[in-house]
Amino acid sequence: MSRTVIYRARRIVTMNPGNPFATHVAVREGRILGAGSLEQLAGWGAHDLDERFADKVLLPGFVEGHSHAFEGGVWQFPYLGYFDRAGPDGTISRGLRNIEEVVARLREVEKAMPRDGSTLLAWGFDPIYFGGRRMDLSDLDKVSTDRPVVVIHSNFHVLNANTPVFRKAGIDRSTNVHGVVKDATGEPTGELQEMTAKFMAYKAAGVQLASLLSDNEAVWRFARVAQLAGVTTATDLHNELPQSTVDGYLEASAREDFPIRLLPAFAAGLVPLAEVPDRLAGLVKRNNEKLRFGLVKIVTDGSIQGLSARMRWPGYYDGTPNGVWNVGPDEIDRTLLAYHRAGFQVHVHTNGDEASEVALNAIEKALAAAPRWDHRHTLQHCQMADASQFRRMKALGACVNLFANHLYYWGDVHYEKTLGPERAERMDACATALATGVPFAIHCDAPVTPIGPLFTAWCAVNRLTASGRTLGEAEKIGVADALRAITLGAAWTLKLDDEIGSIETGKRADFAVLDDDPLTVDPTRLKDVGVWGTVLGGRVFEAPRRA
Amino acid sequence: MPEPGATPIPFTVIGGFLGAGKTTLLNRLLVAPHGRRFAVLVNDFGSVDIDGRLIVAHGGDTIALANGCLCCSIGDSLATTLLDLLERPDRFDHVVVEASGVADPGRIADIGGIEPRLSRDGVIVVVDAADVRARAADRYVGDTVLRQIAAADLLVLNKRDLVEDAEATTLKTWLEGIAGAVAVVEARHADVPLAALFGLPPGADLHPAAPACEPAFRTWTFATPHPLSREGLVAVLDALPSPVLRAKGFVRFADSPGRRALLQRVGRRSRLDDEGAWGLGRLVSEIVVIGTPDMPSDADLAARFETAARPVVDAAVLSATLDRTR
Ligand SMILES: [Zn+2]
Ligand SMILES: [Zn+2]
Repeated sequence: MSRTVIYRARRIVTMNPGNPFATHVAVREGRILGAGSLEQLAGWGAHDLDERFADKVLLPGFVEGHSHAFEGGVWQFPYLGYFDRAGPDGTISRGLRNIEEVVARLREVEKAMPRDGSTLLAWGFDPIYFGGRRMDLSDLDKVSTDRPVVVIHSNFHVLNANTPVFRKAGIDRSTNVHGVVKDATGEPTGELQEMTAKFMAYKAAGVQLASLLSDNEAVWRFARVAQLAGVTTATDLHNELPQSTVDGYLEASAREDFPIRLLPAFAAGLVPLAEVPDRLAGLVKRNNEKLRFGLVKIVTDGSIQGLSARMRWPGYYDGTPNGVWNVGPDEIDRTLLAYHRAGFQVHVHTNGDEASEVALNAIEKALAAAPRWDHRHTLQHCQMADASQFRRMKALGACVNLFANHLYYWGDVHYEKTLGPERAERMDACATALATGVPFAIHCDAPVTPIGPLFTAWCAVNRLTASGRTLGEAEKIGVADALRAITLGAAWTLKLDDEIGSIETGKRADFAVLDDDPLTVDPTRLKDVGVWGTVLGGRVFEAPRRA
Repeated sequence: MPEPGATPIPFTVIGGFLGAGKTTLLNRLLVAPHGRRFAVLVNDFGSVDIDGRLIVAHGGDTIALANGCLCCSIGDSLATTLLDLLERPDRFDHVVVEASGVADPGRIADIGGIEPRLSRDGVIVVVDAADVRARAADRYVGDTVLRQIAAADLLVLNKRDLVEDAEATTLKTWLEGIAGAVAVVEARHADVPLAALFGLPPGADLHPAAPACEPAFRTWTFATPHPLSREGLVAVLDALPSPVLRAKGFVRFADSPGRRALLQRVGRRSRLDDEGAWGLGRLVSEIVVIGTPDMPSDADLAARFETAARPVVDAAVLSATLDRTR
């Protein structure tokens, strides 16, 4: 019989209502024998007592229900965001508070690069916090006048470049193209948007960008960033899953020291429907303890802050025309039905409330055509849903994963420009989900916002925007409910609640090891609770000490 | 990378709602023996149905055809697929992208404006005569359909056989109300004058099966040794009615008589690019105009273009002409 270890902790918050708190947890074969007192657990027989967590608080390992392994890809480029952000090695990249600081950071990076004219690519830039000042060509020309410099914004839909990039592309005042932003005098400012931005980003970085962002190293970096935040299970919620990625994931997940369970969601709609259920079924056969294929993702609309979300009447608060469909309603119906029939669980990206409505229609039609219990199709983001849509979710057996981090990062923009006060105050309506009984999780959508479930929980509890405005008192939830959303709640939306999400007999020994007790700290400090590391399947992963 | 100064490749985007007939049109283009190498980027191969006898290689996300054409599936990103294509050693004469059923083809065509190896040739939007009005009134996709129509340089009113003449007339008026004075080509089974839509050499045999129903279109050529007035030509082009589908040619302007300008017009959108010195070519402006049978008569067209070509005698023109003869 394999060795039994009993960990002692300051407190264990189990998320098991029948046995909510404990001081000890016994682990054998990577799974939990039980949680309780030492005397209760000693009955399991011979054991080693491990005291290293004696002053720590254990929670079920956090489950990030909506993130992208792409987070690991972007970290090989310099981060230029407004907020501090932890990289894969635990080092904090300091937030840059104005354009001058951004330029200074880029100059530093540029100096260290080989003098071969290669492109300097950076990410995470977000000018919305700079009081209306946008970045222009002259800013980035201060970084270099011969090396191409490309700065991708935090939304991944807009970029800035310097003069060498524009010159090489032949973009000037005579270029009459929608995505090329121009100033009052008709000169390009250096900003490119949407399709032109995307095209130029790939061009500047070389066509290898896509593979660079999803190479084997990227998934390791992603796993490490997640682990630092106390995450033991994370989704890679939209992946075409080419063979190279599948191989990389299989290889990584087979390694003992790979620190998370990874759930890639297959990007539906890129492959003819007739072929996919088989292909996905083939992948599912290769699942192991740390890698689970089987999720499916459909992306219906764009984003609210990108003004591309599909909204119901009356649309955008500032009068911007309605957003764009990524795939049309008919195709959403067909795709969802195909995977539904084949027995898969579908995660549907819906930012705007019209997109949510279409997704609910699709689920309703699929159920009428092929009744199926416990499908748990999940609306992802679902930021604008009103109470009636939550009631529909409940009636249809759907789950929801709400984008709580949005409240902080874009809440002010939503209040002032995109949604207006009433809808901004009810966005990411955790309290309504709870009251309606819709199983729910909350998420970060890394790399769109940093991965950090305690921060995400803090958002759901406090609903504070970056400027300090409280966005919707009525939709706040309590700390315990928020903690459930980042553990058992998320596990439910991934159909893994039988395996992870709580600390109880039979489940996997996945823990978040915290410096403090999130249930006793001031709720406004929830995001500041330190993460010592994690335990995954009984293996201890200490986070590197932060700089 | 092409050698510097290589002529940009014409870049066409085909838009239109699901079921309008984009794929049928693309299939026709891919298999027509037009003697040009098209690269066609489609959303998925499931919908293209290329004659198996024409396929010489089928590898992953590309299908190579015996006529030199290539069909690629867009995969996760149009940008990467397109860049990949431009890096390939084989040169194509024309790149065509099939926009998804809900995409705004105008936004995709923007790539032609920022990629020097491509030149935006036009946005062709295919609509289903029997169903476009209903789609445009749909609660969820109505605005998407209207945006597509508004983005068109040229509209294909497909499945024309499914509606009466009177209805077709009403439809065309309605379409013009959204898209402006855009060329509208009527078609059955997406059987369109490919040469006119894609600027192929007139007279090319475009029908592999050679049915007797070659869609009719007319061609007219304007040639003059006199340098043209730039404003005059722009005015003539702006005033061309919608049955004129394309115009292409080399122009010698009075304001820069030593230089050759390339005129390209698709639907209602014209562009003039400076192509450098005339070199040793004949100093003749030559413009080919292609349109439906409804386009103005040859005499009418001649009268229009003549207004831009009143003989100009000016010192700059004279010295540029003399320079070449030394
Ligand atoms: Zn999403
Ligand atoms: Zn996402």
